[in-house]
Amino acid sequence: MRRELHYDVVVIGAGVAGLTSAARLAEGGARVCVLAKGVGSTHLAPGTVDVLGYDPDRVAEPGRALPSFVEAHPGHPYALLGTEAIASALEWFRARVADGPQDGYGYVGGLERNRLLPTAVGAARPSALVPETMAAGELDAGGEVCVVGFRALRDFHASYLAANVGGRALEAEVDVGRVEANALGIARRFEEKEFRSAFVDRVGPRLREGERLAMPAVLGLRDPHGVWAELEQRLGRPIFEVPTLPPSVPGMRVFDLLRAALRRAGGRLVMGAEVTGAEAEGERITGVRAHTSGGDTVYRARRVVLATGGFASGGLQLDADWVARETVLGLALRDAPAPSEERFKPEYFGEQPMARAGVAVDARLRPPGVRGVLVVGAALAGAEPWREGSGEGIALSSGHRAAELLLAEAGAGKAPAPSEATA
Amino acid sequence: MAKQLSTDVLVIGGGATGAGVAWDAALRGLGVVLVERRDLAEGTSGRFHGLLHSGGRYAVKDRPAAEECVAENAILREVAADTIEDTGGLFVTTPYDDPEYADRFLEGCRGSGVPVEEIDPAEALRDEPRLNPAISRAFRVPDAAIDAWKTVWSLCRGAAARGARIMPYHEVVAVHRSGDEVSGARARDVRGGEELDIEAGVTVNASGAWAGQLAHLAGIEGLRVLPGRGIMIAMNHRLVNTVVNRCQMPTDGDILVPIRTVSVIGTTDERVADPDELEISQDEVDAMLEDGERLVPGFKRQRALRVWAGVRPLYQASAEGDTSSRDVTRSHTLLDHSQVEGVGRFVTITGGKLTTFRLMAEETVDAACGQLGEPRPCSTRTERLPDSEEGEHYRLGSRLRKREQGLQDDQLVCECELIPRRRLEETLRRRGTRNLDDIRRSLRLGMGPCQGGFCIYRATGILHGLDGLSSAEANDSLRYFLQERWKGVWPVLYGDQLRQARLDEWIFQGVLDVGHLPQ
Repeated sequence: MRRELHYDVVVIGAGVAGLTSAARLAEGGARVCVLAKGVGSTHLAPGTVDVLGYDPDRVAEPGRALPSFVEAHPGHPYALLGTEAIASALEWFRARVADGPQDGYGYVGGLERNRLLPTAVGAARPSALVPETMAAGELDAGGEVCVVGFRALRDFHASYLAANVGGRALEAEVDVGRVEANALGIARRFEEKEFRSAFVDRVGPRLREGERLAMPAVLGLRDPHGVWAELEQRLGRPIFEVPTLPPSVPGMRVFDLLRAALRRAGGRLVMGAEVTGAEAEGERITGVRAHTSGGDTVYRARRVVLATGGFASGGLQLDADWVARETVLGLALRDAPAPSEERFKPEYFGEQPMARAGVAVDARLRPPGVRGVLVVGAALAGAEPWREGSGEGIALSSGHRAAELLLAEAGAGKAPAPSEATA
Repeated sequence: MAKQLSTDVLVIGGGATGAGVAWDAALRGLGVVLVERRDLAEGTSGRFHGLLHSGGRYAVKDRPAAEECVAENAILREVAADTIEDTGGLFVTTPYDDPEYADRFLEGCRGSGVPVEEIDPAEALRDEPRLNPAISRAFRVPDAAIDAWKTVWSLCRGAAARGARIMPYHEVVAVHRSGDEVSGARARDVRGGEELDIEAGVTVNASGAWAGQLAHLAGIEGLRVLPGRGIMIAMNHRLVNTVVNRCQMPTDGDILVPIRTVSVIGTTDERVADPDELEISQDEVDAMLEDGERLVPGFKRQRALRVWAGVRPLYQASAEGDTSSRDVTRSHTLLDHSQVEGVGRFVTITGGKLTTFRLMAEETVDAACGQLGEPRPCSTRTERLPDSEEGEHYRLGSRLRKREQGLQDDQLVCECELIPRRRLEETLRRRGTRNLDDIRRSLRLGMGPCQGGFCIYRATGILHGLDGLSSAEANDSLRYFLQERWKGVWPVLYGDQLRQARLDEWIFQGVLDVGHLPQ
């Protein structure tokens, strides 16, 4: 017999959008369960919160640019959310970091201005809200930069980054114990006091007066503030992290802190759960079926929040007959080119017609054709997250907004369950 | 003034044919210069499906071509063993094929000496369980997979070791005539811009589908080579481990070749005006995927990695008619222009196929020797190519085995194709290139399932550190390679491969923001 579990809200997907939505709902008193096949976008993303980086030229002040941006892009998720909702989502997130499991770790910034931080190739990427461990990397801050790399870390090349930002490069020359390591492996070494001391001893004497130190984002997973502050103090200079290729250590910190917020508020996260279909009464979705290694379970819920992501995450799919679809509930897509139409263009850096495909929703994030479902994050139609520099902004603010809507529905955020009557 | 060079044989064209001519001539003790306008094997040779023909494909309609394949297949297995994976081949009659053809096929094979054995379709399905279970007849033939890049590198390395000068990225801009003879050519270094005059005892036009254009430079008109354009799609798995052919008159999409870690389905045949016109249409892609479905049910649900087009050089003796290019003979054509147009010291070799490159080279160098007035014997039937000295065939998994022997000795730059860092660094130094696409052709960098998602950044960083490049040069290399990869990817993006491409885009356009590097 199939197991049945009952929740107020089931959230599908454990990226930034899904975890934010679930944590906020749990904090508001809802009984929440997150179902996820695996970890989401966090482990790939650089860990910054990019709200609006390009339109299409670089945006200096996202808060001020948003009104004209949504006017020009009425189908964009931001047009449904509004600047205020984005601002309050950022505020919520910043508070979760402060209360999070990584002692003392914080994010700086907001919608007032974008910070231009170097990527691992040395391009200047605009972000609104950034980890404190990256903040000293602002490219217009002036001063000399020294980039330190690790031979074993293939996913970060100090000399190339240094060349593009006009700095110099050093190899750390500390033994990481392996010929080949990824960012996570080195981050774990930085959690050891002896390793940090070895690093300071090897690198410190080679630094010059007045230089800022750029490092791959490997300054620990559990206590990044402690590692970063100690190194800054011992080396006597500002230090900043630069995101590497995945797995992204700062992204994993985001996952850890959102998951902690969810658990602290009593929410549940089931990893390795693949949603295989929905339970419905007429147009109303009343739950989802999920497959896990332990068997099949029906998760009954008054509301379902779909946070399964775009094509990269498997929330959307294009089949061999060139028909694009939403994979879990089969929701209708908007902005998807028809099978006979051009899907992609030959220019890699150009705009791609398929990129804006996603689920169309109303101002309350509800897709047409079904009831009881809200859609958040990269599954939404109308955005080109990487080209706009808007991925985390959309994920965070739509996830947060969905929770606020459901909590309001349930009665000003006090009653635990969203009521049937208002949906 | 242009720099000067003098040699016995000037070879124009760095595909399998030209490289084969260089190897053959160098073995005969002749001085050789080979010029290629792009990278070695960047034209037709590097854009084919990888099939070493048994001859079966031509057994019914083109018996001379079949006989050549039989002989050359056997020779190459000996002298170029390392470039060949001995997959074996199958011809199968699917429900879409004329059942009568199988008997004609069998008869044709026997008549032209193609080793053939009819087997129970159940046995074929045991060997290749993904094949269409509705096949009614099955034949084993000695088809194999051949790595064209490796072949061309080996030929050129062998030739260079015997004194030949191999000059990729040198485009012929003029062919020098002195009276009714060709005396050499002028080549321009397309990367550095310098020009070079090469004086040659005999000039060999081995430019394949471009042979007509080249002959025109020599003042010879009316040499008609039809570019027969064909598309191929690489699928991300060995859907079969044996070369599989449909047992029917050769048509589109009827061959599936397992090569390295992928399988390639091909091909089409369309006459085009310009051999450099390689655009691919949606209809062609759709039709090819459907053809795959007929051979291997479920084909379309697999990941399609890339699509590309190549042009066969098909020589047409007369300007008559409007025949489909598939009906032009697949045998090669050697034109000694002293006998055709009365232009001496100039030889054109065109047509043919990769399987017969050695024979083509032998006949060409025979003719060149004739022009030079000193016959010398050919030894390419027995002389083994570099890396093939042991006579051992390539085996899938050899890179993995090498890797497993020294897991902690070196790091991997490309997990998909198992490329260690030292190997990449050596190749970058040896080739002296900043073009990562050259490295792709040498090492298969970025050719696996992730299509460069991780290795492109790593290789750019290593290239920058190694070569003391300026940041602008490194940025150009990175952008150029990303654009080159995208070319073959976007027309076949669907399913999990689209998911992969979006992840790659996330890395390059999101995490790294390559699109906003300084121009």
